[in-house]
Amino acid sequence: MSKLVQIFSSRRTWAWPYVAFMALFVVLPLILVGVYAFTDVTGHFTLHNFAKFFTHSEAIQTFLYSLMIAVFNTAICLLIGYPAAYIMAQEDFKTPKVMAMLFILPMWINFLLRTVATVELFNMCGLPLGEGALLFGLCYDYLPFMIYPIYNTLQKMDNSLVEAAQDLGASRWQSFWKVIVPLSMPGVYSGCVMVFMPTVSTFAIAELLTHNNIKLFGSLIQDYITTTDLLNYGAVLSLVLLIIIGLTSFFGEHDAKEEGGLV
Amino acid sequence: MMDRFAKRQRTASLKDKRQKWFRRIMIVSCLLSIVYCPLMAQSNLTYTVKVGTTGEVKMLQEFPESYAAEKINITLGEIENLDRLDKLGKLEKLDHLDFAFADRPVAGIAAWGDSIYSYTDEADVTWTVWRNKKELKNRAQKVLRANAYRAFEDYLIANTARVSQRGGWIWWVFAALLLVGTAIYGGYIVYSRRKEKELTAVEQEMLRRKRMGLRRHYGSQLYLWLLLLVLYAPIALIAVFSFTKSKILGNWTGFSMDLYVNLFTGKADAGLNSAIMYTLIIALVAAVCSTLLGTLAAIGIYNMRARQRKVVSFLNSVPMINPDIITGISLFLLFVALGFSQGLATVCIAHVVFCTPYVVLSVLPRLSRMNPNTYEAALDLGATPMQALRMVMLPELWPGMLSGFILALTLSVHDVGVTFFTKGSGGLETLSTFIYSDARKGGLTPELRPLFTLILIVMLGVLIYINFKDQKEEQS
Repeated sequence: MSKLVQIFSSRRTWAWPYVAFMALFVVLPLILVGVYAFTDVTGHFTLHNFAKFFTHSEAIQTFLYSLMIAVFNTAICLLIGYPAAYIMAQEDFKTPKVMAMLFILPMWINFLLRTVATVELFNMCGLPLGEGALLFGLCYDYLPFMIYPIYNTLQKMDNSLVEAAQDLGASRWQSFWKVIVPLSMPGVYSGCVMVFMPTVSTFAIAELLTHNNIKLFGSLIQDYITTTDLLNYGAVLSLVLLIIIGLTSFFGEHDAKEEGGLV
Repeated sequence: MMDRFAKRQRTASLKDKRQKWFRRIMIVSCLLSIVYCPLMAQSNLTYTVKVGTTGEVKMLQEFPESYAAEKINITLGEIENLDRLDKLGKLEKLDHLDFAFADRPVAGIAAWGDSIYSYTDEADVTWTVWRNKKELKNRAQKVLRANAYRAFEDYLIANTARVSQRGGWIWWVFAALLLVGTAIYGGYIVYSRRKEKELTAVEQEMLRRKRMGLRRHYGSQLYLWLLLLVLYAPIALIAVFSFTKSKILGNWTGFSMDLYVNLFTGKADAGLNSAIMYTLIIALVAAVCSTLLGTLAAIGIYNMRARQRKVVSFLNSVPMINPDIITGISLFLLFVALGFSQGLATVCIAHVVFCTPYVVLSVLPRLSRMNPNTYEAALDLGATPMQALRMVMLPELWPGMLSGFILALTLSVHDVGVTFFTKGSGGLETLSTFIYSDARKGGLTPELRPLFTLILIVMLGVLIYINFKDQKEEQS
């Protein structure tokens, strides 16, 4: 009994329930994805599912297309979001807090409902629903994720560095490219990661925005996972997505740290 | 020194030139847009109605015992003898397409106006099928707007019909706005030029500098507000159309508060009511559990040795990095492998999984700010660990716990992917998955519009309140 009390008074053990919970509901399921990917319906080891993926042109094409859409979306979000964050972080900008809140507020409306409303808006304007609508919708949904980290780094940046650059004869343009942009890189990286990762794995938005005419990788995975016979193949697709996500977060973190170290 | 001065002079004159060009380009592009918008409004955009196969396959999977889907006629057209058929009871108005497969054999389904009808006997129905291109063109605008037809797109038979659609009135609004904007801008330029002539050279220079600053200021403001306009346009659409009775978003049938009344008196769709209830239950359970688990975990992690701590922190970050679809699928596979029946419990567990890491992260900073010896002191003074936790730790930690709790609530309410894969097939729906399945059927439950309008207003109120409070604190 006294030993039990001793164990519990060591606060290190308080994390044990959480670690056990995580092991059961995070680590084990992820291992299961791998297990399912390497087995067939009857539970025997097979590489057939992987062979199918590499010869399944629809899956490969959808995968590459999703990657491309995600890259495009990240680029568009960056192009639109960076100036917005930059303007908000300016010293003479009087209401940055209100503005930041206004950018977050739409996220409180369910994103599917917003997507449906966007479709309706496109119909009202008589614009066709296709790739353009898809990119618009994705950008619309993930823009705040880009603006926020960039705004945070820009705001924390020491403004005297910019002044110093200008005192030393740099033009506005030069001081922007040589001082502000490099200093805001950690924010840009984390913004890009935060936009890229959900875009690659998105599954409902594309379906609604294009009336199922364009399929992204997430929707494909969903189709296979919800079909009982094809569960194992769906696991392979999930594994591929998992690898992409892992790589992105690994490199994103690495780069962000490196840039952060420079400051 | 002289060099730099000369350089500045040169850049100033360059800037002047650049600004002149900027002004010219602005005006020309405004004028072009004014021409472009009516052109868009007039133009006939080609609208391809596609034959969908995916939709039909899905239908068959959902209703395995249904009547062969390919035998059902689906027709682009108007039912001429609608009233008579309606009286005879041979026509049934459908809310969603899949009703056609639900209870009795139907010969076909047809759309008229905003609605879909199913009919039992083909011989009864007289059609006007718009084979003729001109007629198609005339009907297209009206019909393509109606949700019934949009849901139809996947099911349309035979030929891929190319239908043209007009650009719509909204382009006229754009044109008008641009016209007004250009007029104001042009008027301002003319006015300021006239005034400028009366000034001395020094004053002119001062004015020029001031104006450059102002222009940059208003330019950046304009950019942000334009961005917000685009961001809020769909939301405004939802808010505006929450005040009309029509089932379809974008179809104004006169002002009415009926949807609000329906929402509060429970007259709305039963599915919606249960979805709201389940969303709240799941969010509360998940937030409470993850706050308790996460706080304990944070205390534990904080007291761990560096290496252990690194491992657990990494573990903690996994659910945050994982996209929701992967979390959902992996948990789905776990529940399948363990033979759990999926339902409320599995959804709650899944939500705790992705909420807890955020709680841990919001409690940890509070811990590092706290004096680590107070807990030991309490133990030395004879408190049990439980007492020490309650009386010493909790008062210090609760702001972190609260923000973690709120974060967990938010995440849980907004989740689609994880819920979708762990809810099972027992008919459990949260608000998000309810909207998802609704949207897939082609129409939204109209009461969702007032619901989210109210949420938006409440959140706006909360944000304004927080902002106001912050400002007050800053002042004092």
